[in-house]
Amino acid sequence: MKLGKIILQVLFIHVFLLAGMGLKHIIPLPIPASMFGLAVLFIALCLNIIKLEWVEKGAAWLMAELLLFFIPSAVGIVNYDDMLSLKGFEILILIAVSTIIVMGMTALTAEKMCGRRRNSQ
Amino acid sequence: MMTFLITIITYIVYRLAKFLYSQRQLPFFHPLLLAPAMLIGIISIVHISASEYIGDAKWLSHMLAPATVAFAVPIYKHRQLVLKYISTILASITAGSLIAIFSSYVLAEAINLKYDFVTSILPRSITTPIAIEVSKETGGLPTLTTVFVIMTGVVGGIVGPMVIKWLSIKNPIAKGLALGMGAHGAGTNKAMEYGEQEATFSSIGMIFAAVITFASGILLIPLLMHLGQLFSL
Repeated sequence: MKLGKIILQVLFIHVFLLAGMGLKHIIPLPIPASMFGLAVLFIALCLNIIKLEWVEKGAAWLMAELLLFFIPSAVGIVNYDDMLSLKGFEILILIAVSTIIVMGMTALTAEKMCGRRRNSQ
Repeated sequence: MMTFLITIITYIVYRLAKFLYSQRQLPFFHPLLLAPAMLIGIISIVHISASEYIGDAKWLSHMLAPATVAFAVPIYKHRQLVLKYISTILASITAGSLIAIFSSYVLAEAINLKYDFVTSILPRSITTPIAIEVSKETGGLPTLTTVFVIMTGVVGGIVGPMVIKWLSIKNPIAKGLALGMGAHGAGTNKAMEYGEQEATFSSIGMIFAAVITFASGILLIPLLMHLGQLFSL
Protein backbone atom coordinates (compact mmCIF):
# COMPACT_ATOMS: atom_id res chain seq x y z
CA MET A 1 0.00 0.00 0.00
CA LYS A 2 2.76 2.36 1.00
CA LEU A 3 4.78 1.38 -2.08
CA GLY A 4 1.78 1.98 -4.35
CA LYS A 5 1.35 5.45 -2.87
CA ILE A 6 5.02 6.27 -3.48
CA ILE A 7 4.84 5.05 -7.10
CA LEU A 8 1.68 7.07 -7.77
CA GLN A 9 3.22 10.20 -6.25
CA VAL A 10 6.47 9.79 -8.19
CA LEU A 11 4.38 9.51 -11.37
CA PHE A 12 2.45 12.61 -10.32
CA ILE A 13 5.74 14.51 -9.83
CA HIS A 14 6.47 13.66 -13.47
CA VAL A 15 3.52 15.87 -14.44
CA PHE A 16 5.54 18.85 -13.14
CA LEU A 17 8.63 17.62 -14.93
CA LEU A 18 6.59 17.54 -18.16
CA ALA A 19 5.33 21.06 -17.43
CA GLY A 20 9.00 22.05 -16.96
CA MET A 21 9.86 20.52 -20.35
CA GLY A 22 7.05 22.54 -21.91
CA LEU A 23 8.31 25.74 -20.29
CA LYS A 24 11.88 25.06 -21.45
CA HIS A 25 10.49 24.90 -24.97
CA ILE A 26 8.83 28.30 -24.64
CA ILE A 27 11.50 30.13 -22.60
CA PRO A 28 14.83 30.24 -24.45
CA LEU A 29 17.13 30.20 -21.38
CA PRO A 30 19.80 27.59 -20.63
CA ILE A 31 17.82 26.32 -17.64
CA PRO A 32 17.13 22.58 -17.34
CA ALA A 33 13.54 21.33 -17.53
CA SER A 34 13.84 19.90 -14.00
CA MET A 35 14.52 23.38 -12.56
CA PHE A 36 11.43 24.76 -14.30
CA GLY A 37 9.54 21.76 -12.92
CA LEU A 38 10.78 22.56 -9.40
CA ALA A 39 9.49 26.11 -9.76
CA VAL A 40 6.10 24.96 -11.11
CA LEU A 41 5.65 22.46 -8.25
CA PHE A 42 6.64 25.10 -5.67
CA ILE A 43 4.15 27.62 -7.06
CA ALA A 44 1.41 24.97 -7.25
CA LEU A 45 2.00 24.19 -3.56
CA CYS A 46 2.03 27.87 -2.55
CA LEU A 47 -1.20 28.61 -4.43
CA ASN A 48 -2.87 25.52 -2.92
CA ILE A 49 -3.51 24.12 -6.39
CA ILE A 50 -2.25 20.80 -5.09
CA LYS A 51 -2.05 19.49 -1.54
CA LEU A 52 1.29 18.73 0.13
CA GLU A 53 0.09 15.17 0.90
CA TRP A 54 -0.23 14.45 -2.83
CA VAL A 55 3.53 14.67 -3.39
CA GLU A 56 5.10 14.46 0.07
CA LYS A 57 5.77 10.68 0.22
CA GLY A 58 6.97 10.42 -3.37
CA ALA A 59 9.26 13.44 -3.00
CA ALA A 60 10.70 12.07 0.25
CA TRP A 61 11.49 8.76 -1.46
CA LEU A 62 13.13 10.43 -4.47
CA MET A 63 15.34 12.54 -2.22
CA ALA A 64 16.18 9.67 0.14
CA GLU A 65 17.31 7.45 -2.74
CA LEU A 66 19.13 10.23 -4.60
CA LEU A 67 22.45 8.36 -4.37
CA LEU A 68 21.03 5.41 -6.33
CA PHE A 69 20.25 7.60 -9.32
CA PHE A 70 23.78 8.77 -9.91
CA ILE A 71 25.56 5.47 -9.39
CA PRO A 72 25.23 4.57 -13.12
CA SER A 73 27.02 7.79 -14.17
CA ALA A 74 29.75 7.14 -11.59
CA VAL A 75 30.52 3.81 -13.25
CA GLY A 76 31.54 5.86 -16.30
CA ILE A 77 34.76 6.81 -14.46
CA VAL A 78 36.43 3.74 -16.01
CA ASN A 79 36.38 5.58 -19.35
CA TYR A 80 38.84 8.15 -17.96
CA ASP A 81 42.29 6.69 -17.38
CA ASP A 82 43.53 10.02 -16.02
CA MET A 83 41.43 9.65 -12.91
CA LEU A 84 43.26 6.51 -11.83
CA SER A 85 46.73 8.05 -12.09
CA LEU A 86 48.64 10.75 -10.21
CA LYS A 87 46.31 13.33 -11.78
CA GLY A 88 43.43 11.71 -9.91
CA PHE A 89 45.25 12.25 -6.62
CA GLU A 90 45.97 15.90 -7.49
CA ILE A 91 42.28 16.38 -8.30
CA LEU A 92 41.38 14.91 -4.90
CA ILE A 93 43.66 17.47 -3.19
CA LEU A 94 42.15 20.26 -5.32
CA ILE A 95 38.66 19.26 -4.23
CA ALA A 96 39.64 19.02 -0.56
CA VAL A 97 41.31 22.45 -0.52
CA SER A 98 38.49 24.12 -2.45
CA THR A 99 35.82 22.53 -0.25
CA ILE A 100 37.57 23.73 2.93
CA ILE A 101 37.71 27.31 1.57
CA VAL A 102 34.07 27.20 0.41
CA MET A 103 32.73 25.85 3.71
CA GLY A 104 34.84 28.28 5.71
CA MET A 105 33.65 31.30 3.71
CA THR A 106 30.00 30.22 3.83
CA ALA A 107 30.08 29.54 7.58
CA LEU A 108 31.86 32.80 8.43
CA THR A 109 29.51 34.89 6.26
CA ALA A 110 26.42 33.23 7.74
CA GLU A 111 27.67 33.57 11.31
CA LYS A 112 28.50 37.24 10.82
CA MET A 113 25.09 37.97 9.30
CA CYS A 114 23.25 36.13 12.08
CA GLY A 115 25.30 37.88 14.77
CA ARG A 116 24.56 41.29 13.30
CA ARG A 117 20.90 40.39 13.13
CA ARG A 118 20.85 39.52 16.82
CA ASN A 119 22.60 42.75 17.80
CA SER A 120 20.25 44.94 15.80
CA GLN A 121 17.15 43.39 17.35
CA MET B 1 15.20 -7.31 -20.64
CA MET B 2 18.81 -6.17 -20.20
CA THR B 3 17.57 -2.82 -18.95
CA PHE B 4 15.43 -4.55 -16.33
CA LEU B 5 18.27 -6.81 -15.21
CA ILE B 6 20.78 -3.96 -14.95
CA THR B 7 18.29 -1.90 -12.93
CA ILE B 8 17.72 -4.75 -10.46
CA ILE B 9 21.44 -5.53 -10.12
CA THR B 10 22.30 -1.87 -9.57
CA TYR B 11 19.57 -1.62 -6.93
CA ILE B 12 20.81 -4.70 -5.08
CA VAL B 13 24.43 -3.49 -5.15
CA TYR B 14 23.31 -0.06 -3.91
CA ARG B 15 21.38 -1.62 -0.99
CA LEU B 16 24.37 -3.79 -0.13
CA ALA B 17 26.75 -0.81 -0.22
CA LYS B 18 24.39 1.20 1.99
CA PHE B 19 24.17 -1.69 4.44
CA LEU B 20 27.96 -2.09 4.60
CA TYR B 21 28.38 1.65 5.17
CA SER B 22 25.87 1.56 8.03
CA GLN B 23 27.95 -1.21 9.63
CA ARG B 24 31.33 0.53 9.29
CA GLN B 25 31.28 4.32 8.92
CA LEU B 26 34.61 4.43 7.06
CA PRO B 27 34.91 7.13 4.36
CA PHE B 28 36.10 4.50 1.86
CA PHE B 29 32.89 2.58 2.48
CA HIS B 30 30.76 5.48 1.24
CA PRO B 31 28.02 3.94 -0.95
CA LEU B 32 28.97 6.30 -3.75
CA LEU B 33 32.46 4.80 -3.86
CA LEU B 34 31.63 1.23 -2.92
CA ALA B 35 28.62 0.69 -5.22
CA PRO B 36 30.28 1.94 -8.45
CA ALA B 37 33.43 -0.03 -7.58
CA MET B 38 31.44 -3.23 -7.13
CA LEU B 39 29.47 -2.58 -10.34
CA ILE B 40 32.66 -1.95 -12.31
CA GLY B 41 33.88 -5.31 -11.03
CA ILE B 42 30.65 -7.05 -12.03
CA ILE B 43 30.44 -5.61 -15.55
CA SER B 44 34.08 -6.38 -16.28
CA ILE B 45 33.53 -10.01 -15.24
CA VAL B 46 30.48 -10.41 -17.51
CA HIS B 47 32.10 -8.35 -20.30
CA ILE B 48 29.68 -5.44 -20.51
CA SER B 49 31.31 -2.12 -21.40
CA ALA B 50 30.73 0.89 -19.14
CA SER B 51 28.92 2.73 -21.95
CA GLU B 52 26.56 -0.20 -22.51
CA TYR B 53 25.93 -0.40 -18.77
CA ILE B 54 25.13 3.33 -18.55
CA GLY B 55 22.76 2.97 -21.50
CA ASP B 56 20.93 0.08 -19.84
CA ALA B 57 20.70 1.87 -16.49
CA LYS B 58 18.86 4.80 -18.09
CA TRP B 59 15.75 4.37 -15.92
CA LEU B 60 17.78 5.04 -12.83
CA SER B 61 19.65 8.03 -14.28
CA HIS B 62 16.34 9.40 -15.53
CA MET B 63 15.06 9.60 -11.94
CA LEU B 64 17.50 12.45 -11.25
CA ALA B 65 15.13 14.81 -13.07
CA PRO B 66 11.99 14.13 -10.95
CA ALA B 67 14.27 14.08 -7.86
CA THR B 68 15.29 17.65 -8.69
CA VAL B 69 11.64 18.63 -9.05
CA ALA B 70 10.98 17.01 -5.65
CA PHE B 71 13.23 19.58 -3.93
CA ALA B 72 10.26 21.97 -4.20
CA VAL B 73 8.71 20.08 -1.27
CA PRO B 74 11.34 20.84 1.42
CA ILE B 75 11.57 24.46 0.22
CA TYR B 76 7.79 24.74 0.53
CA LYS B 77 7.80 23.14 3.98
CA HIS B 78 10.54 25.47 5.23
CA ARG B 79 9.30 28.59 3.44
CA GLN B 80 8.84 30.54 6.70
CA LEU B 81 12.42 29.82 7.81
CA VAL B 82 13.73 30.67 4.35
CA LEU B 83 11.91 34.02 4.39
CA LYS B 84 13.09 34.84 7.92
CA TYR B 85 16.76 34.24 7.11
CA ILE B 86 16.69 35.12 3.43
CA SER B 87 19.48 37.74 3.62
CA THR B 88 21.82 35.42 5.55
CA ILE B 89 21.09 32.58 3.14
CA LEU B 90 21.59 34.69 0.02
CA ALA B 91 24.79 36.39 1.24
CA SER B 92 26.53 33.26 2.49
CA ILE B 93 25.51 31.00 -0.38
CA THR B 94 26.43 33.59 -3.02
CA ALA B 95 29.84 33.98 -1.38
CA GLY B 96 30.21 30.20 -1.22
CA SER B 97 29.14 29.62 -4.83
CA LEU B 98 31.50 32.23 -6.25
CA ILE B 99 34.42 30.98 -4.14
CA ALA B 100 33.63 27.41 -5.23
CA ILE B 101 33.88 28.28 -8.92
CA PHE B 102 36.92 30.58 -8.58
CA SER B 103 38.94 28.37 -6.23
CA SER B 104 38.27 25.29 -8.36
CA TYR B 105 39.34 27.21 -11.45
CA VAL B 106 42.56 28.59 -9.96
CA LEU B 107 43.55 25.22 -8.46
CA ALA B 108 42.67 23.39 -11.67
CA GLU B 109 44.93 25.76 -13.61
CA ALA B 110 47.65 25.27 -10.99
CA ILE B 111 47.75 21.52 -11.57
CA ASN B 112 47.38 21.95 -15.36
CA LEU B 113 44.11 20.12 -15.84
CA LYS B 114 42.88 19.50 -19.36
CA TYR B 115 40.22 21.85 -20.75
CA ASP B 116 37.25 19.47 -20.47
CA PHE B 117 38.36 18.42 -16.98
CA VAL B 118 38.29 22.08 -15.88
CA THR B 119 34.78 22.75 -17.23
CA SER B 120 33.65 19.50 -15.61
CA ILE B 121 35.10 20.32 -12.19
CA LEU B 122 33.75 23.88 -11.81
CA PRO B 123 30.13 23.00 -10.89
CA ARG B 124 31.26 20.21 -8.52
CA SER B 125 30.03 21.68 -5.23
CA ILE B 126 26.36 21.39 -6.14
CA THR B 127 23.97 18.50 -6.18
CA THR B 128 24.48 16.13 -9.14
CA PRO B 129 21.39 16.57 -11.32
CA ILE B 130 21.94 20.32 -11.49
CA ALA B 131 25.74 20.07 -11.68
CA ILE B 132 25.30 17.81 -14.72
CA GLU B 133 23.04 20.41 -16.35
CA VAL B 134 25.56 23.21 -15.70
CA SER B 135 28.33 21.00 -17.03
CA LYS B 136 26.36 20.27 -20.21
CA GLU B 137 25.54 23.94 -20.77
CA THR B 138 29.19 25.00 -20.33
CA GLY B 139 30.85 22.22 -22.31
CA GLY B 140 31.89 19.86 -19.51
CA LEU B 141 31.50 16.11 -19.50
CA PRO B 142 28.53 14.90 -17.39
CA THR B 143 30.24 11.67 -16.31
CA LEU B 144 33.35 13.50 -15.08
CA THR B 145 31.18 16.07 -13.32
CA THR B 146 29.32 13.26 -11.54
CA VAL B 147 32.63 11.81 -10.38
CA PHE B 148 33.79 15.23 -9.10
CA VAL B 149 30.47 15.84 -7.34
CA ILE B 150 30.80 12.46 -5.63
CA MET B 151 34.41 13.17 -4.61
CA THR B 152 33.27 16.54 -3.22
CA GLY B 153 30.53 14.86 -1.20
CA VAL B 154 32.83 12.24 0.31
CA VAL B 155 35.63 14.76 1.01
CA GLY B 156 33.16 17.36 2.32
CA GLY B 157 31.75 14.89 4.82
CA ILE B 158 35.26 14.51 6.25
CA VAL B 159 36.57 18.11 6.12
CA GLY B 160 33.25 19.78 7.01
CA PRO B 161 33.33 18.97 10.73
CA MET B 162 37.05 19.97 10.79
CA VAL B 163 36.31 23.41 9.29
CA ILE B 164 33.47 23.95 11.78
CA LYS B 165 35.86 23.05 14.62
CA TRP B 166 38.84 25.12 13.35
CA LEU B 167 36.75 28.26 12.86
CA SER B 168 34.78 27.48 16.06
CA ILE B 169 31.45 28.01 14.31
CA LYS B 170 28.72 27.95 16.97
CA ASN B 171 25.63 29.05 15.07
CA PRO B 172 23.55 26.07 13.84
CA ILE B 173 22.39 28.07 10.81
CA ALA B 174 25.99 28.76 9.78
CA LYS B 175 26.97 25.10 10.30
CA GLY B 176 24.04 23.86 8.22
CA LEU B 177 24.52 26.35 5.37
CA ALA B 178 28.26 25.59 5.16
CA LEU B 179 27.70 21.83 4.98
CA GLY B 180 24.92 22.13 2.39
CA MET B 181 26.89 24.64 0.30
CA GLY B 182 30.19 22.77 0.45
CA ALA B 183 29.07 19.16 0.13
CA HIS B 184 25.45 19.09 -1.14
CA GLY B 185 23.51 15.93 -0.12
CA ALA B 186 26.48 14.33 1.62
CA GLY B 187 26.91 17.50 3.70
CA THR B 188 23.23 17.43 4.61
CA ASN B 189 23.67 13.83 5.69
CA LYS B 190 26.50 14.95 8.00
CA ALA B 191 24.41 17.90 9.25
CA MET B 192 21.80 15.43 10.53
CA GLU B 193 24.42 14.29 13.08
CA TYR B 194 24.54 17.84 14.51
CA GLY B 195 20.79 18.34 14.84
CA GLU B 196 17.52 19.13 13.15
CA GLN B 197 18.13 22.84 12.64
CA GLU B 198 21.54 22.16 11.07
CA ALA B 199 19.96 19.54 8.76
CA THR B 200 17.17 21.88 7.69
CA PHE B 201 19.55 24.73 6.89
CA SER B 202 21.89 22.33 5.16
CA SER B 203 19.14 21.28 2.75
CA ILE B 204 18.15 24.93 2.28
CA GLY B 205 21.83 25.72 1.62
CA MET B 206 22.10 22.88 -0.87
CA ILE B 207 19.07 24.03 -2.87
CA PHE B 208 20.13 27.68 -2.92
CA ALA B 209 23.68 26.64 -3.83
CA ALA B 210 22.25 24.73 -6.78
CA VAL B 211 20.19 27.68 -7.99
CA ILE B 212 22.87 30.34 -7.42
CA THR B 213 25.74 28.25 -8.81
CA PHE B 214 23.53 27.48 -11.76
CA ALA B 215 22.88 31.14 -12.48
CA SER B 216 26.46 32.28 -11.86
CA GLY B 217 27.99 29.20 -13.47
CA ILE B 218 26.20 29.73 -16.76
CA LEU B 219 27.65 33.25 -16.92
CA LEU B 220 31.00 32.82 -15.19
CA ILE B 221 32.29 29.48 -16.46
CA PRO B 222 32.35 30.40 -20.17
CA LEU B 223 33.96 33.72 -19.24
CA LEU B 224 36.67 32.06 -17.13
CA MET B 225 37.38 29.46 -19.79
CA HIS B 226 37.59 32.17 -22.43
CA LEU B 227 39.99 34.29 -20.36
CA GLY B 228 42.07 31.21 -19.59
CA GLN B 229 42.47 30.47 -23.27
CA LEU B 230 43.39 34.06 -24.06
CA PHE B 231 46.18 34.04 -21.48
CA SER B 232 47.56 30.70 -22.51
CA LEU B 233 48.08 31.90 -26.09
